[in-house]
Formats: sequence, C-alpha cells, structure tokens
Amino acid sequence: MRVEKNNPIANAIENGGMLLAFILFGVFLLAPAFYVFKGSFENLSVSLVATDSGWTLRNYISIFENGYFVYVINSLVVCITATILACTIALFAAYGLSRFRFRGRSLVFGSIMGGQFFPWIILVNPIFIVFARSGMVNSQVALILCYTAFITPFTIYLLIGYLTTIPKSLDEAAIVDGASRFTVVTQIILPIIWPGMVAAATFGFLQSWSEYLLVLALITDDSLKTIPLGLYQYFGDVQVDWGAVMAGSVVATLPTLLLFLPLQRKLVSGLTQGATK
Amino acid sequence: MTLSPKLRERLTIFFMLLPTFAILVGFYLYPTLYNLELSFTDITLLKLKRGGDFIGLANYWEFLTSDSFFAIAVNTVLWLTGISVVCRLLLGLGFAMLLNSQFLKNIRMTTLARLMLLVPWATPPVVAVIAWRWLFDPTHGPINSWLLATGLIDDPVAFTANLATVWPAIITIIVWNTTPLIGVSLLAALQTIPEELNEAAAIDGANRWQQFRYITLPYLMPTISVLGLMSVIWTFNNFVYVWLTTGAGPGTFTNVLATEVYLKAFVDLRIGYSAAIGVTMAVVMAAFGALYFRFFGLNEMQEKVG
Repeated sequence: MRVEKNNPIANAIENGGMLLAFILFGVFLLAPAFYVFKGSFENLSVSLVATDSGWTLRNYISIFENGYFVYVINSLVVCITATILACTIALFAAYGLSRFRFRGRSLVFGSIMGGQFFPWIILVNPIFIVFARSGMVNSQVALILCYTAFITPFTIYLLIGYLTTIPKSLDEAAIVDGASRFTVVTQIILPIIWPGMVAAATFGFLQSWSEYLLVLALITDDSLKTIPLGLYQYFGDVQVDWGAVMAGSVVATLPTLLLFLPLQRKLVSGLTQGATK
Repeated sequence: MTLSPKLRERLTIFFMLLPTFAILVGFYLYPTLYNLELSFTDITLLKLKRGGDFIGLANYWEFLTSDSFFAIAVNTVLWLTGISVVCRLLLGLGFAMLLNSQFLKNIRMTTLARLMLLVPWATPPVVAVIAWRWLFDPTHGPINSWLLATGLIDDPVAFTANLATVWPAIITIIVWNTTPLIGVSLLAALQTIPEELNEAAAIDGANRWQQFRYITLPYLMPTISVLGLMSVIWTFNNFVYVWLTTGAGPGTFTNVLATEVYLKAFVDLRIGYSAAIGVTMAVVMAAFGALYFRFFGLNEMQEKVG
C-alpha cells in the first residue's frame, strides 16, 4: 500500500496512463503471434490481389502434403533423443558434483557454468571439420551428439539446484543398508527430483527444438532437415510462400507454448538463483 | 574382487562424471583449441583433407585491417549488442514494474499479463523472425497497410531492406523475443522487496521517484547486472536474428561478427580466416566478462561457482 494524496484528477490521469501502458504492452507482445496465427488460415496466394476472403486450412494441408511432417519427425527424433541423453548424463554428473568433494571439482563446475554461455558460432567450424572428415555430415547421429553437448551444461546446473535441497543423510542411510550409488541415484534420488528432471527435460527439448546454426552447418539433405531449417525453405530468392511459412510456424510453436506454460516459473528461479536470493 | 571403500568411491565419482568430461572435452575444449590452431592456417573447405599451411597471424592481420572490420565491429557492439541490451533491460524493467503495480492488481489483470509475456518467450527465434518479417512485409504486412491507411506514409516501406529502418527492425525482433525473460526475472526480484521499506520511506516524505531510485533500484541491481551480462554474451555471439532477418544485408550493411564467421567459412569457404574471427570474438567476450566481474563484483555468482 502506498500512501497517496487523494487527488481524483491526478489519480485518473495516472490510471489512464497505466491502462494505456498495459494496452500497448499487450499489443506489442501479442500482435506478431496473432497475425501469424491469422495469416496461417488465410488464402494468401503468391500471385496475390484480392483473393476470396474467409478462413481456410489450405496452408496446413499443402505443407503437410509437401513433406513438412518429415521435418517435424526429424525434429522430434533429434530433440527427444538428445534430451533423454542429456538428462541421463546430467543426473549422474549433478549427483556426483553435489555429493562428493574431490580435486578438480570447482574446475568442472566452472566449465559447466561457462558451457552455458559458450558461443556455438565459434565451435561450428571445428565441429563441422571433425564431422566432415569422419563422413558424418548429413547424419542425425552427429546432430544428436551436438545437441546433447549443447543442452547438458544447463541441465546439470538446474539439477544441482534441486539436488542440494535433498539431505545427504537420505542416501547415506541407503548406502549403510547396502545399496550401491547407482541404486541410490535411480531408486531414491530420481523419484524425489522428478519435477526437476521434467523441468530440465522440457528446457533441453525447447533449446534443441529451436536450434538453427548447427543444423544449418551439418545438414544439407532435405530428408534430414529439422523444422527450423525446413521453415526457411519457403523463403525463395524472389518470393516468399507466406501461407506455408505461417502454417509451418504455428506447427513449430504450438508444442513450445504448451511445454512452456508449466515451466516458466522454475526457469526464472533457475536462471537468476544466485542474484535473487 | 573386493575394492577398498575409498577406491570404490573414487571409481563411482569417475564413472558418474565420465560422460560429462567427454562432452566438455570433446565438444567444448577440443574444438576451442582446434579452432585456435585453424586460425593460424590458410585451410579452406576445398582442401579439407590435406589441411592448411601455417601462416602465423596473417588471418588476424587481414581481418583487423580489412575495410569491413570497422563496420562489422560497430554493427556488433553498438547495434546488435549495445542498443538492444539497453532496450531490453529498460523495457524489461517497465514490464516488471507494470506487472507488479497496484493498478493491474486492482483491475485483476496480473495473471493475464504474465500469460501474455509467455507468448514471445515461448516463440522459437526462427519463428519470431518470421512473425516480424510478416509484420514488416512491404506488400502484405499489417504495419504497412496500417501506416498507409492512416496516411502516415504514401508508399510501402520495406523495413528490413531500408538502410534507415533495418537495424531498428532487427532490434525490435530481438527485444520482442528476449525481453519477457528479463521482465519476469526482474518481477521475481521486485517481489522480494519488503513493502515496509517503501511505506517507511513514504512516511518520511520520499516521493515515488526517490523510492524507486533509493530502494527499488539498489534492490534490483544484482539481478540487473546478472541479466545484463547474460544478455550481452548471448547477443554478441548471436547468429540467427541477423542472419534470418536480412542475411547480413542489404549488401553487407547489417553484417556482424557472427554472420561474418559463417559467411567466411561456408560461403567463401575460408575456414582458417573464419576461425580467426571466432577467436577474436572469444577474446573480446573473455575480456568483457573479466572487466564486468571486476566492476560489478558478482559475489553471489562466484560463490556458486566455488
């Protein structure tokens, strides 16, 4: 509660200003998404001028008839595999880092922090050469490996946050009872940090889902392209097939929107933990 | 086979961290060093198998003295990074203050406003660029039809091809896509400020501006500096926004370091030269990060690492 002077005119002006700010805020945030969604149902023939108005599913039908589902499936295969790999690797790494003190621990921790910010634009040349020399250009395996490496550092970082809240006495009790560390991680720790795993997996999936640079460098075969690369197929040299682009964009964004809703609060606390506490 | 408990524990740690080591070494450390090596050679994509010859610092010298260097540096540092990060922080602060305001609570719009922030945030960058290219489109785009209808312009403006509007257009896309994260993070920080502080200040006669300046802002500073550092690093190295919006064009007007790395490697096929640009970027970022830590003294962040 603020202590305010009761001046009705000043209040009205202030409330009006706030309302205007709120409306502008809403328009700025929603307009681009709204117009893409609207456009994806419109009849935007490339030859343009007044076509018949009214909404149509033509754009969606045409992209799926022209092989858009191949990109969707490629994206799903690559992103889901990479996410599962990264989460498995990160679970054990986060456990090891949070439970044991050993020489070189802070170096590993520092590298993981640094890995989150590492510019992939710099790594793309050497990685491309290594894969090109071993004949792994146009290989989904190469892409999956890259994406796993790409999302693992942040996954570890998120999971360590969760693991430090679990008391060590819990796993020590199990060890005394004769359980191995592996059993502790999979049978005791995993169920407890399951919400954290879900958050980490969602984040990893989203990260790889929208990745563009590595797939641009590594994949040229049309049958192996993922959604981000596939979408830009519709941008011709002279003309853009806007209907297809927008229908494709809606398809590409729906899963991310659905996954984002439950995730966003966790993400914020994960990202700025150090600063806000 | 029986192992001593101590050795067993060591082996456990080793195997738990082995895949992570493999990733850090194989995908981060080795490529970085290999890139450094490449940057001293004249290797091209055409003689990939044979490898290049050692040419010392020639690539660096050529890049730093090239005609395009100054323009690329200004584009990257001023436009892509500087202006866009400042815009994002200011607008993000505005979003956070608005979301935290009594006004939105009174009209019961706080939850709706939060949900609206999610839309740009959840949009993949590739789609964000498409959405805005559609809005900016000279023939079909809503912005042009609106400006034409209201008579503000007489002819359609090709926002992403016009030298005067292309950078503001790119920055708009980046700001739209990345400000929600900053807004929500600052909101989380705003909500940790004890109400009593503002009340006490108000009783002591502090006006709104003074409350903001001496209470809110100091409270937000740690978050702002972390977000600032993250944003600068992400944006400085960012490739997709410029590449997908303009392809570094018109001509090379919006060329930045990241697009130059890609163009030199995959269009001109000069991997060695491109690697030298990459190393230059890494050096600049490392220097920036070091200075930043020195000036802002982010103890919380360092504690977490240590």
